Amino acid sequence: MSLPLYYYLAITAVYILMTWALYLPYRVAHLHFMVVANMAISGYFGGYAAINWHWSFLAVFAAGFLIGAVVSFVVSIAIGDAPTFAVVIVGFTFIYITKTVIENWPAMGSTMGMFGIPLVNHILLYAYLFVLVTGFFIYRFDHSRLGRAASAIFIHRELATSFGVNTKYLGMFLQTWAGAIGGATGVLYGFIMNSLFPNFFTFPIIGATMTMLFLGGYTTMWGPLLAAPVLWGAPLLLPTAVASWRQIIYGVLLIVILLLRPEGAITRPFIVKVQTTIFQWMRIKKV
Amino acid sequence: MAVFLAQIVNGISLGSVYVLLVTGFNLLLLVAMIIHYSFPIVVVFSMYISWIVLGLTGGNMFLGLSAGIVSAVLINILTAPMFQHIMKKRGDVDINSTMVLSMGIGMIITDFLSHSVNSGFPIAFPDSLTGRGEPAFIRLGVISMSRGDMLSLTLGIIFVLGLFWILYKTRAGRAFRAIAEDPNGAKLVGIPILKTGLQSYALTGLLGGVSAVAMSILLGSASPGLGDQLGRKVLAVSIIAGLGNLKGGLIVGISLGILEALVQGYWSGTWSNSIAFVVMLIAILVKPKGIFGMKL
Amino acid sequence: MKRVTVIAMALLLAIGTFTFANGKKEEPAKKAEPAKSSFKMTEWEIPFLNCLTGPIASIGEYLEWGAERAALEINQAGGINGIPVKVTGIDTAMSPETGTVEMAKLTKSALVVMGPVPEPVILAAVPIAVRAGLYSFTATTSYEYAAKFFPWAISWFSPTEEKLPPVVTAWAKKNPGMKNVVQFVENYGAWPGMAKAHVIGLKKAGVNVLKQVDVPTDAVTFGPLVVKALSENPDGIVFACNAEKVAKLILELQSRGWKDNGRLLVFSSADDGALYTTGGKNIDGVMIYNYVDPNLNTPRWQAFRKAFKADHNGMEPFSLSPNYYDAVYMIKRAIEETGITGDPSKLKEERIKIRDYCNNIKDFKGLMFNWTNKNGVPQDKPLFLFKIENGKKVLVEKVIPSNK
Repeated sequence: MSLPLYYYLAITAVYILMTWALYLPYRVAHLHFMVVANMAISGYFGGYAAINWHWSFLAVFAAGFLIGAVVSFVVSIAIGDAPTFAVVIVGFTFIYITKTVIENWPAMGSTMGMFGIPLVNHILLYAYLFVLVTGFFIYRFDHSRLGRAASAIFIHRELATSFGVNTKYLGMFLQTWAGAIGGATGVLYGFIMNSLFPNFFTFPIIGATMTMLFLGGYTTMWGPLLAAPVLWGAPLLLPTAVASWRQIIYGVLLIVILLLRPEGAITRPFIVKVQTTIFQWMRIKKV
Repeated sequence: MAVFLAQIVNGISLGSVYVLLVTGFNLLLLVAMIIHYSFPIVVVFSMYISWIVLGLTGGNMFLGLSAGIVSAVLINILTAPMFQHIMKKRGDVDINSTMVLSMGIGMIITDFLSHSVNSGFPIAFPDSLTGRGEPAFIRLGVISMSRGDMLSLTLGIIFVLGLFWILYKTRAGRAFRAIAEDPNGAKLVGIPILKTGLQSYALTGLLGGVSAVAMSILLGSASPGLGDQLGRKVLAVSIIAGLGNLKGGLIVGISLGILEALVQGYWSGTWSNSIAFVVMLIAILVKPKGIFGMKL
Repeated sequence: MKRVTVIAMALLLAIGTFTFANGKKEEPAKKAEPAKSSFKMTEWEIPFLNCLTGPIASIGEYLEWGAERAALEINQAGGINGIPVKVTGIDTAMSPETGTVEMAKLTKSALVVMGPVPEPVILAAVPIAVRAGLYSFTATTSYEYAAKFFPWAISWFSPTEEKLPPVVTAWAKKNPGMKNVVQFVENYGAWPGMAKAHVIGLKKAGVNVLKQVDVPTDAVTFGPLVVKALSENPDGIVFACNAEKVAKLILELQSRGWKDNGRLLVFSSADDGALYTTGGKNIDGVMIYNYVDPNLNTPRWQAFRKAFKADHNGMEPFSLSPNYYDAVYMIKRAIEETGITGDPSKLKEERIKIRDYCNNIKDFKGLMFNWTNKNGVPQDKPLFLFKIENGKKVLVEKVIPSNK
């Protein structure tokens, strides 16, 4: 595999995972930006453990996953069923705190960034295995009773509660899961880039993943899977003169998609349509 | 004590910026039910338009500032159909979509400014407008208020009060709020939906334009990223105060300004955002619907 | 329905397996094409990993302008060994992720790379170049970033704590009565490190540093910071924050009674257009240090300056403008002096030749002055202390910090 393709795929995996990390809590209408802070906390922990304690990648990865889950779980006790915009504030707060702590902590490289995170063989495999496992569990969740409960909360929280859905526990579960994904992705990111810079874990990544989520479609897990490689990859293929207008292009695309397909490019009816078409095609083949 | 008082005055000055912006933001929530996250970016765009026209007209203040106000009104009216299109599908589409649409508008404006105006460098308004280089209007030791501070504060107070009056004391204001709360009900009682809807967007645009004038005087300069920086704070202030709560926005906006000034003055500038957000976090955990309650 | 999911998941698994099978890390340039006797160089292409969009796009454009100006001059004078040179700007949009992919593209065939710009992209992309044996001209970053990648990356600057203290000491000596100083510092990249170096210089001059006032990156108003600084009763102030913020801090200081602008020292990273457009006449008298003397009276510099101003609405070249201009000339000299052919079959060895030559280049004729590198560290490069008068820099003193 060529080196550019290798890096393109590795970073695509990071974007898919981070967009899924936003997607999961958004199933109950929570814009849980805290996953970006989870990414930073676990990423920096992983980098430090690998450089200074010589932990193996898998140990660091597992630790990053756990740290993300624990931090998010503790916070979710307070905001598991908080109003959407309260969750936004929590996310902003943790992003600011994490960034400030890292910038003032020499062991984390302060403002200079953390450098020298070791190379790991087959990191692309690990990244896509994690994408696969995460995707599988998200798929199972979406098609389970819990997934339907989450949809009910998204549409009408009070009604869902009166039908017996425990909005708090479901919110806590999704936030914890998203935090774990964010944490593990932070570790992956550090090992792919071999360095970390505090400014990465702030608002630009929220902008990028939000665009991927809403353009791809926030009602199914397939939207991010389509949008992440396309949106992140397109500017790499465009000529510099066009690519330099990428933010404006993203902005226009976002507006157009929201106006024409408010739920994003890939919606649930679209998935059903695709599945039906494939079934019909398979039957024709059999006949 | 003098230093403490000076920091309070500084905090009020910073808070007045938040108040101007959060008032426009909340107004859009009240009259149009949209989360216009990029409202501060629209305001910064109007500052740029003022600056461009000032340059083209050889520093004609009236034309420059009017152009800024007109541009804010125009942007609001031109983007209104997009927001309305999304709002029509409410029920299927949640209010968050309006925030994402607004983010899209913000991305376009910010990138346009960093690409195409003044080579992406910050713009600076003439000293004759901002009062830079002049002695302070009020000065007692380190306590200081410039002509720009006074002018922008006065302008802000007049317009915010005027807005309260329009919204709560006039027929037009009642019509704005009625449409936002229940468009069908408003239609039934004979409120002209299209005309009133456009008027409400124009009014918020007007407030945005006035905010741009006040910020031009107070800050003296603007950069492409300014709107984005302020956007997060304005959203936070609105949520903490209670979405759509104008009075709450006023109090929380000023309080946030004072809090930031005190943290910067007595602790560390690098921690000011974190501390401010931690305080807001505590407030939102205690009162999840905002300190003063939502008005939606 | 389940079958479709299985197919989708299998597809993902296939990607994983594919990547596993091919997921080896990058290989050095040993896989270059076999030698061909018919090889003939038609153009020297120098890729420049730059930042042409985003918050520092304007600075990226100035850097690119300098590199292209050098290429134009070289081509007009007959090219490099008679072959034309072309600078290819590549926009990373300040994104480390884009930087890694773009750098990865270059590892296969580029002889040398200019950039990346700025530091977050350097940290992410240069390791890829190092592993591929590709030499990077990180000419705008501080020594501390480039040193991590020595000998595969070069900085235009010597170690910060050796380079900056003498010029700050020189400023302090220009203000004999100055005893107590406050420093404004913004927490970004190498700036806190530069602030530390300022403190060393001040202490050498016997000046006491009362306090460091931290400037938030997204500060909107500056009253609280200035009141904090003034409450210490300083008689001098040093600024290590971005240009717009420096200008606003100075204006705020003046509105609170600060009179002596000569006792305000601005660091080099704030010497760009925003300082002058935001500060206007109010920054007259302020002192600033930098690596470029705009008033240098050599035909080469004056021609550069005139062309820059003509293309940028009369704006003076900013502090880093000559860096990539010089980088192109350094590459030219390395190619000519070491007999580099550009033959892809010799790529690996020729990359090393360029690296070793540039890391220890002697008496390089830069746009502003000549210098020598020793193990990648520039020796005896001067710094200039200026006073701003009518929006222009007037030289006060030239300082040459001696390297250890």
